[in-house]
Amino acid sequence: MSEALLELEDVVSGYDELQVLWGVSVAVMPKRLTTLVGANGAGKTTLLRAALGSIRVWSGRVRFEGEDVTRLSAYQKAARGLVLVPEGRQLFNDMTVEENLELGAYTARARPDYAANLERVFTYFPRLKERRKQKAGTFSGGEQQMLAVARGLMASPKVLIIDELSLGLSPLLTQQLFGTLADLKNDGLTLVLVEQNLHLALALSDYAYVLAEGRLHSEGPSREVANDPDVRKAYMGM
Amino acid sequence: MIFDLTASVINGVLVGAIYGLAAIGLTLIFGVMNVINLMHGATIALGMFSLYLLTTAVGLNPYLAIVPVLLGGFVFGVLVYWIAVHRVIGSSDLMTLLATFAVNMIIIGVGTAVWTTSPYNVDVSVPQLAISMHGYTIPGTQIVAAVLAVILATLLYGLLYHTRLGKAIRAVANNRAAAELMGINTRWVLAISFGIGIAVAAGAGVLIATLFPFTILSGANYELKSFVVVVLGGLGDPAGAMLGGIVLGLIEGVTAPFVNVSWTPVIEFTLFVIILVLFPAGLLAFKWGRK
Repeated sequence: MSEALLELEDVVSGYDELQVLWGVSVAVMPKRLTTLVGANGAGKTTLLRAALGSIRVWSGRVRFEGEDVTRLSAYQKAARGLVLVPEGRQLFNDMTVEENLELGAYTARARPDYAANLERVFTYFPRLKERRKQKAGTFSGGEQQMLAVARGLMASPKVLIIDELSLGLSPLLTQQLFGTLADLKNDGLTLVLVEQNLHLALALSDYAYVLAEGRLHSEGPSREVANDPDVRKAYMGM
Repeated sequence: MIFDLTASVINGVLVGAIYGLAAIGLTLIFGVMNVINLMHGATIALGMFSLYLLTTAVGLNPYLAIVPVLLGGFVFGVLVYWIAVHRVIGSSDLMTLLATFAVNMIIIGVGTAVWTTSPYNVDVSVPQLAISMHGYTIPGTQIVAAVLAVILATLLYGLLYHTRLGKAIRAVANNRAAAELMGINTRWVLAISFGIGIAVAAGAGVLIATLFPFTILSGANYELKSFVVVVLGGLGDPAGAMLGGIVLGLIEGVTAPFVNVSWTPVIEFTLFVIILVLFPAGLLAFKWGRK
């Protein structure tokens, strides 16, 4: 097995007095799609926030490309290529599609690739090209999610983390976006997916972590996790 | 009478452009960080006295003085941000109000100690640009000040919409958490925005001081006008602020021949209330700043 690109070691974190994570370890392998699943309130988003530096890691370590980045803030991690597509899109609603994409390529790493990335993004999402002058806030939910993923891709990510891609989207659109993720994975992008839609996430991913009550419940190759009777019962309603 | 009115309209628009510039300083800070800057008026007064010092002590041309005042205002604003504002960003609105009000009181206090509260005056005249119409003359200083105000506002607009920094500023105004995820150092963007807002207010102070006598307390009056203008134009919207400024100037100019000057604030603030009630989002119906 090759060296992990992103590694969380025994991460403990939470908000003020409230501890949410009780020592979680996750390893993201290059060019793989890793998925993080778990019920509502299991600590998935908190784990992402801690990994990305938007909240403090109480103890434990975050390593990116072998380097300890635990104490770096979110913008510094983004500058290194650790990129998040946040839950609820979080677009710049009053700005145009093009400006959102430009801001995606804000870092010094991504700027030289702006033209190439833009072309790539428009191939994946031709709708965005048609509407490049339109304000992001006027988009439908599905288009906004496309733009959020596209904006993440503009950053030339080394790891692209997508939080709740399918939230609020129609099944058809979800299928389409997952198809795009499969293409991205085939192109060699390292992806982390945080999902409530277990079926799709496990079908597409290589390796899965199941989070429950702030701890790792189980982990393994996605196929095995998908067949784990315990997981099926608890999260997939089977 | 007709010519009187024409002169009043022109006069109003010219002064209004400067009100607009001052208000842009206030609205930019509000739009980006949701802080109502209560040191806005004191900053305008500082700009006025900077002009006084630069012209009397250094002998600089009053219109060139605007360059060092803008630079100095920016540095001063960034410093004030780090010392007094940054720590209270994101806490309750009352905290940021109090923080900026405290700085306001310090400036006024020091200013009063140094310059007292008696009026000062900077001697500027550009008679070759004056326009005479049927017995009424629009002074050249007013034309130059208005043109400079519009140029500065346009430059700022260009900065916000066509530069990398400007896009980062608008991104932070729109969604700070998302901006951070894009790799933008949002703390610096906030500091820079505060610096720009202060610089613009000080620059407006310089322009006002080329037209009228001033004291260290004069800023308060223009701060109130800025609030009216910002509400007219929609909070957080710089283009709206310029438009609002011109509207306010027009109202002042057109009513001036008919009513005693002491009625001006009554008219202004009646308008303020009416606009707040009828157009809470401003006369231009879009919002530039917050989500």
